[in-house]
Amino acid sequence: MNDDTALGTVRDSLTAAKGTLTETHMNTPLDAIVQRGRAARRRRRLIGLTGTAAVAASAALVVGLTGVTGSAPTNRAGAIRTVAFTLVSNPNGTATLTINNAALVDPTTLQNDLAQDGVPAMVTSGSFCSSNPVPVGFSQVVSFYPATAGNHALPPGVHPHPTITLHPGAMPAGTELSFGVFQLSSGEQQVTFELINASSYACTHTPPPSPANGGSQVEFSPAGSK
Amino acid sequence: MEFAEFYQSARDDCLRIVLLNVGDRQLAEDLVAEGFAKAWVSWRKVRTYQAPRAWVVRAALNANVSRWRRRRREVILDGHDVAVPAEESRVLSGDLMAALRGLPLRQREVVTLRLLLDLDTETTARLLGMAPGTVGVHLHRAAETLRSALPHLADQEASK
Repeated sequence: MNDDTALGTVRDSLTAAKGTLTETHMNTPLDAIVQRGRAARRRRRLIGLTGTAAVAASAALVVGLTGVTGSAPTNRAGAIRTVAFTLVSNPNGTATLTINNAALVDPTTLQNDLAQDGVPAMVTSGSFCSSNPVPVGFSQVVSFYPATAGNHALPPGVHPHPTITLHPGAMPAGTELSFGVFQLSSGEQQVTFELINASSYACTHTPPPSPANGGSQVEFSPAGSK
Repeated sequence: MEFAEFYQSARDDCLRIVLLNVGDRQLAEDLVAEGFAKAWVSWRKVRTYQAPRAWVVRAALNANVSRWRRRRREVILDGHDVAVPAEESRVLSGDLMAALRGLPLRQREVVTLRLLLDLDTETTARLLGMAPGTVGVHLHRAAETLRSALPHLADQEASK
């Protein structure tokens, strides 16, 4: 099947799906939209006024930091805590990600937060992307707690809060981390990681099997995530 | 075109497209309302665009990202218990929609603008702030993923 045919088929299916929603109507009245718009405009004006006063101070701060370090910091300090995960930015440039076994990870939130910590990542839900051949260097980029021997995999139930330390500085140029979040039929959540070539990868909707020994792929299935 | 006229003509279409992307009726309505409110604020500019409803859909999808960032600090107690028509529920829970929602954000945006709103590559590229070639790459990958996730698409293709 060539590209145009595949696209046409997908387009037809999506259009058909949209076409079945004829009974779905927007109930919000125009007045409510306008009210919401006015509120947004007021907020924007307020932020504009506050921002003007803050510009001088923040510019001075950036100049000061640049003077000391030689470049603007790429990692912000502190931690992000969500229901599903905690992401801590460490002073040595690494980031520590801890998954909460009781909640499903939101891919967009995790991807944006990793990006803020300087970790280029593609987080997908219900799919997993990988490159062939797999870029080298995974073991320098990702370390895992609790440490596991051989295949770097945690079987379900081993640890309630698996922790991964990410070293973005060790990522080879042109690579990013692929995170695939799957909800298994057992009700457990599986998160699979792999280093991929950012310009060449393919995605699958099948949760990857446990990786072979020595492979660069890590997965864990937190227990009790039902 | 006046904003009121635009809202009346575009609101249902925008809602259905965003609904396919997020899968939740109440959430979709809220996001689309947010998108239209932003369009109202910038209407003098938005009305001159080639595809103002695409601008609203993209604003709604971006609002969804912002919403996730806000809600991560909150504990959600209500479940939005609203009756959903059976047909809507069946479509939204289907394999195709699950596959669409599983795409990375950029690919999903490109699929939405190119295939659901029928924009051309150039307009999509301008709206998303990327090169036309990148739109093509995202679209190709997305179509591959959607097709491989749905074996019956290949069957449909063979029977044509």
